[in-house]
Amino acid sequence: MRRRQGLGFWLALGWIGLILLAALLADLLPFARYDETLAGPPQSGPSAAHPFGTDGLGRDVLSRVVYGARVSLGVGIGAVLLGLGIGAPLGILAGYRRKAADAVIMAVNDVAQAFPALVFALAVVAFAGANLRNVLIVLGVLGVPSWVRLIRGATLTFAEREFVLAARVLGTRDRRILWREIVPNVAVPAASYAFIGMAVVVVAEGSLAFLGLSVQAPTPTWGGLINEGRTLMETAPHVVLAPSIAMFLTVLSFNLVGDRLRSLTDVRESGLEPVRQAAPALPATTHPVRDVLLQVEDLRTHFVTPRGLVKAVDGVSFTLERGRTLAIVGESGSGKSMLIRSILGLLPGTSVRGGNVYLAGDDLTSYTAAEMRSVLGPRLGTVFQDPMTALNPVRTIGTQVMEPLRVHMSLTRRQARAEAAKLLASVGIPDPVRILRRYPHQLSGGMRQRVTIAMALSCRPDVLFADEPTTALDVTIQDQVLRLLHRQREERDMAVVLVSHDLSVVARWADEVIVMYAGKVVERGPAAEVFARPRMPYTEALLQAAPRLTDPVHHRLRVIPGRPPDLVDLPEGCAFRARCAYADERCEREAPPLFEDGHDRRRYACWHPRTQAQDGTAAAPSSDVTDVAEGAESGGR
Amino acid sequence: MAGSGSAHLRPRDEVLLRVEDLVVEFPAGRGRTVRAVSGVSFDLARGETLGIVGESGCGKSSAARALVQLPPPRSGSVRLDGLELTELRGEALRRTRRRLQMIFQDPISSLNPRRRVREIVGEGPRVWDLPGDRVDEVLEAVGLDPATAAVRRPHEFSGGQCQRISIARALILDPEVVICDEPVSALDVSVQAQILGLLEDLKDRYRLTLVFIAHDLAVVKNVSDRIMVMYLGKVCELAPSADLISRPAHPYTRALIASIPGGGLDLPPADQLISGEPPSPVSPPTGCRFRTRCPRAAARCAEEEPRIRRIGADHWLACHYPETPPAPA
Repeated sequence: MRRRQGLGFWLALGWIGLILLAALLADLLPFARYDETLAGPPQSGPSAAHPFGTDGLGRDVLSRVVYGARVSLGVGIGAVLLGLGIGAPLGILAGYRRKAADAVIMAVNDVAQAFPALVFALAVVAFAGANLRNVLIVLGVLGVPSWVRLIRGATLTFAEREFVLAARVLGTRDRRILWREIVPNVAVPAASYAFIGMAVVVVAEGSLAFLGLSVQAPTPTWGGLINEGRTLMETAPHVVLAPSIAMFLTVLSFNLVGDRLRSLTDVRESGLEPVRQAAPALPATTHPVRDVLLQVEDLRTHFVTPRGLVKAVDGVSFTLERGRTLAIVGESGSGKSMLIRSILGLLPGTSVRGGNVYLAGDDLTSYTAAEMRSVLGPRLGTVFQDPMTALNPVRTIGTQVMEPLRVHMSLTRRQARAEAAKLLASVGIPDPVRILRRYPHQLSGGMRQRVTIAMALSCRPDVLFADEPTTALDVTIQDQVLRLLHRQREERDMAVVLVSHDLSVVARWADEVIVMYAGKVVERGPAAEVFARPRMPYTEALLQAAPRLTDPVHHRLRVIPGRPPDLVDLPEGCAFRARCAYADERCEREAPPLFEDGHDRRRYACWHPRTQAQDGTAAAPSSDVTDVAEGAESGGR
Repeated sequence: MAGSGSAHLRPRDEVLLRVEDLVVEFPAGRGRTVRAVSGVSFDLARGETLGIVGESGCGKSSAARALVQLPPPRSGSVRLDGLELTELRGEALRRTRRRLQMIFQDPISSLNPRRRVREIVGEGPRVWDLPGDRVDEVLEAVGLDPATAAVRRPHEFSGGQCQRISIARALILDPEVVICDEPVSALDVSVQAQILGLLEDLKDRYRLTLVFIAHDLAVVKNVSDRIMVMYLGKVCELAPSADLISRPAHPYTRALIASIPGGGLDLPPADQLISGEPPSPVSPPTGCRFRTRCPRAAARCAEEEPRIRRIGADHWLACHYPETPPAPA
């Protein structure tokens, strides 16, 4: 609740409070009563004695607006409470009980919602008599169907959460589950909707009053005041303006408060979401260009969050050649996905990028957005974790696979269709011509991922970036997809950058590996070497923490104490030191550079690297890893 | 695969939980039915950990929820210490249910975001009118500092810590059986190892019997005494963990192991052991449900469902044409 709601929210809340207070204390305020005629000269403009002027009978307009607020706010609050009082129990019952109760309540509700509301209100008020009670009841009852719908929806989402299931397993009774688990969660969206509902009711009451179907004169109401002032519009516009502005500001305030309250529904925020403020710019740099396919030099990505500056990628460098697979491993928050997005220039708008990305010698960081678009697809292909979000749900597979072919390769429709079918066949999709006519939801997760791979390959990219491509898939499907990626790399002579949290996948399929921690590279080198002889204690611990099929049953895994560091206030020195068994004072003072180990490609960032003798019992069985690495090298199928 | 039968069940007086011929079905709209679990039987001796492994749609989570009768199974028997849970209603069911507790996959959705940790963990004792003084003890047992943790709300904790809170909530009522439904699959590797170690410690300390459900065979092997492999609502194979991994007999078990990179067994590549994708549980194949993906399937597999039979000391299998397991070392 302490989150910043913005100035508008507080102004709106202030205005509502002011109006409410004035309406409550109207009898004590130092102005003429609303019905006292000739309190001043008729139709006089604003003055010290009558700040809002007087109306045609010389009555004080301010007084009439304030007394009018009693009716408007009274009806607004009363009708909403009435609607909530009837609608909430019905909605909770329908959403929690489901089945018959739900069916009956929702059927009745749908019929009720089909009534033309305002016509109904007019008819009832005209028939039963225009007074405060009738208007309040009519507007309150008219709101019930919306309340039932809203509360039922909110109840449904929470009733299916595991915490409700857990409560039932504990033996909690339904009544207690409703009060303790469901109602507090439903209350926030209900409060938000209550304010918006009040705005609706205030407008509705105003409309009725304007038609003379609300509280009768002499009691003033805003709608009635506007109606009376209408005739004086040319001679005394303030008479109509004052109640209009009061009503406008009140309705606006209710809506604003309602909208802002809705943002409280999400309590999951971590405080690490980028804000709309740009991070301090990083200096432009250039580096000597090497003769490789992809060269990343000192790449940095910073963005500002509500809690401070986050260095999501902090000085990453690597090179990659054709026909090789580079894996980037790390736990959540290590910056591995950010690194990929940073290379591809797919970053949130306010983040700041430093360093350089050279693709076959061309500096991609100097490219404009339009130039980048001509590179993404034809030269850099991408596959992401969730194929469902990568595909447009309302377009067929065919149109989506054909689009890059037609845009980047300028194929005709017919050519593109033939090429698309060929592509789908090449990624192992049976009956590709039929699949082209399908929509994404008609395919399984594994098939969808094959489609996104086909799309990524369609323009024959030089580098394929795959960000956790198999994390959402079952293990037997994961194997199929990884084999497919490997075979495509061989056939097309591309380079692959594979982001994964799964060390066994990386050990099996990657040639080179980069281990990331807190936005930095902490170890890198040929995959077989790194997994057989990790130098950085984090890599070593990670390998020992992952369960393996070859371990004995009930084998105690190595526990890395604590958890990944908070990126907002990273300590001085080595980011891993708080969890490291070998850390000493130096690690606290100085961040270790990337030391070279034997040759240029093998590096580690540690003051106390593990040596071969120490890891004898600890690291991955080297025989396994070398076997698979050889398998991968030789094509491995 | 995909067999029925209960030949593998042990005598009733030796087991704490005995599940026989469990059937779970849901309406799938348009008059169709999802056959989530179709005739699954298993049992647990006191203090044992049974791992249930399988891919999405194999019915492992549906089976877990049917154990606590949320919702009750379509048919079959769930006996806890001789008490038939499927026949209990209302208050009697509520009383018995607390002897079984659950831990779920999503650490965030498992905890009510609007309640404080002390209320969440103390809910069990409050419901049963027990003294709430064990809250601190269980929080400490799961590795949280009661003084600072108890007054905070779930979103102030990381995923691993939320999972610890869920475990504390499950433990406070001294359950006999704890059903863990993918308890570590949402966690990072380093945190996963912490939680697995914690579960092993707590199992000894509170003499728990665990049902451990996961899709990751390596994780399941790490904590389980026996492993049951499920596919599309049926049991494929059941054996002591080491035995199942070193001498898998069912074609599906072999494919699962071969799909794990660096599995360590000398198996052919996974793409020679399994093909295609799982069929829909709305219209499962006749006979053996695995036959559509099985390289060894023959005509008999489509006609006749394999029964569970014994192939080793405590090694059970439902397959007509199993790979001959290598002789025990």
